[in-house]
Amino acid sequence: MSNEVLSISTAGAEATLPPVRGRVVRKRWLYSVLTFLTVFGPGLIVMEADNDAGAVSTYVQAGAQYGTRLLWILLLLLPVTYFIQEMVVRLGIATGKGHAAMNYQRFGRWWGLFSLVDLQLVNFLTLVTEFAAISLALSHMNISPKVGVPLAALALVVMVLSGSYRRWERVTVFLCVLDLAWVAIAFKVHPAFSEIVHSTIVPGIPQGGITASLMFLVIAIVGTTIAPWQLFFQQSCIADKRLRFSDVKWARLDTLLGAVFTIVVAGCMMIAGNAAKVHGIAFFDPAQMANELHIFSGEAVRSAILLLMINAAVLGTTAISLSSAWAYGEVRGWPHSLEMPIRKAPGFYLTYLVCVGLAAAIVLIPGAPLQLIILGVQVLAGIMLPSAIIFLQLLLNDKEVLGEKYVNKPWNNRVNWTIIVVLFILSLILAAQVAAPNLFPRS
Amino acid sequence: MSVMDLWRPTMVTNIPEDHFVVVHPLDDRAEQKVDTSELGLMPMTTSVRLSLMALRCYLILMMLLVLYHVMDLGGAFRNHAH
Repeated sequence: MSNEVLSISTAGAEATLPPVRGRVVRKRWLYSVLTFLTVFGPGLIVMEADNDAGAVSTYVQAGAQYGTRLLWILLLLLPVTYFIQEMVVRLGIATGKGHAAMNYQRFGRWWGLFSLVDLQLVNFLTLVTEFAAISLALSHMNISPKVGVPLAALALVVMVLSGSYRRWERVTVFLCVLDLAWVAIAFKVHPAFSEIVHSTIVPGIPQGGITASLMFLVIAIVGTTIAPWQLFFQQSCIADKRLRFSDVKWARLDTLLGAVFTIVVAGCMMIAGNAAKVHGIAFFDPAQMANELHIFSGEAVRSAILLLMINAAVLGTTAISLSSAWAYGEVRGWPHSLEMPIRKAPGFYLTYLVCVGLAAAIVLIPGAPLQLIILGVQVLAGIMLPSAIIFLQLLLNDKEVLGEKYVNKPWNNRVNWTIIVVLFILSLILAAQVAAPNLFPRS
Repeated sequence: MSVMDLWRPTMVTNIPEDHFVVVHPLDDRAEQKVDTSELGLMPMTTSVRLSLMALRCYLILMMLLVLYHVMDLGGAFRNHAH
């Protein structure tokens, strides 16, 4: 914990240190703010990147179909997503290793391989949906996807090639902050604020009761807010950034702010979708909705929604591809760090390149079964999530790894097992719906 | 001290009296993490082991169900005579 030595105030005398790059400050509050800013990043990125193209589609559809009536689900998901990712923070800082490596080491080859293959499969299918969204938004902006999609893929590869974690993090945090434009869109469509407050804090079921489409949408909202790749991404990101034991509280704050930011942005997407319901616009996809909404809300809203769809897909793609590349590198024992140049970590960068390049290429194939891929992503992620959290929960109770200080407390375990049970029930409902599509009434 | 000085790290060798040093994690010396290389597999009780076996069966079953459903939607089981 070298930084603890560096960080203490020198009481009454000048202290000599081995040379280190840093900033000397006098005020304790300034020291705290700057330390937080150096740690800040992985928490915001992991949360906001989860507001990817699929999430934009799901939240906007929820607003277009049910207005603001499902906002309360987002409020419930705020602590859930924080508690899950907070465990990842502790595990990442204590071990300095990624999640895939820990699964392999502590649960053996079968589970290690299963979680890795499942992660790579779901991640890859999700990447195809990200590029499908980029293609869709570009075509609505009269830009040929055959030009735009390869350019987006190229930009995504360039983002990671600088051999600097910090440079990648700054660009990605900037893209996350751009998503604040959803808040401006939500204001611009003139929502009824009293209705929003009521729907957020008072749980309710929309008119029409529990139907198949409502159940599917609720499961999709949960599945898109908490995704398996997030566990792998944040732990690897923390390991790559080399966060220290003394950074735990700041990394927790980063994760909490990221969770709040993400849920607020998701709520704003739902409010934008609500505008379509209010104006009687039938919903097919966010791009089509943006096109039809511009008559009521102006050209700026249309352009902003299309650009934000691309931004969401770019954010999702960089985070998901990195989670795949880190996980594969950890298990294969390859060098795997954004701090390394290509010649020192060729396998890591090649995995990232293959993920991005192949997903972009599939989207450009005419007649590719995109709807089947989107369905596959939702169902596979729904099945994988509860089991992934069970392994996280077991690792967080592993005193050999975390010691007494960072291991889960009894209240952590109570909260987490409740989350796991709820997720398993949703996973079973999803499976039942896939097996028996007439389980719930259609409307 | 200007704002730019706060953002631009410099080489620090000594801390003046009652001052603090902010060091970016990537600029700091590597700290000792928990050594997991010698730990091996996690020790588990029989009930946990059985629960994981059940989870393994559930996951395999669900994956097969999804595969069947996706192939069905893709038209793999349609009667070609029609």
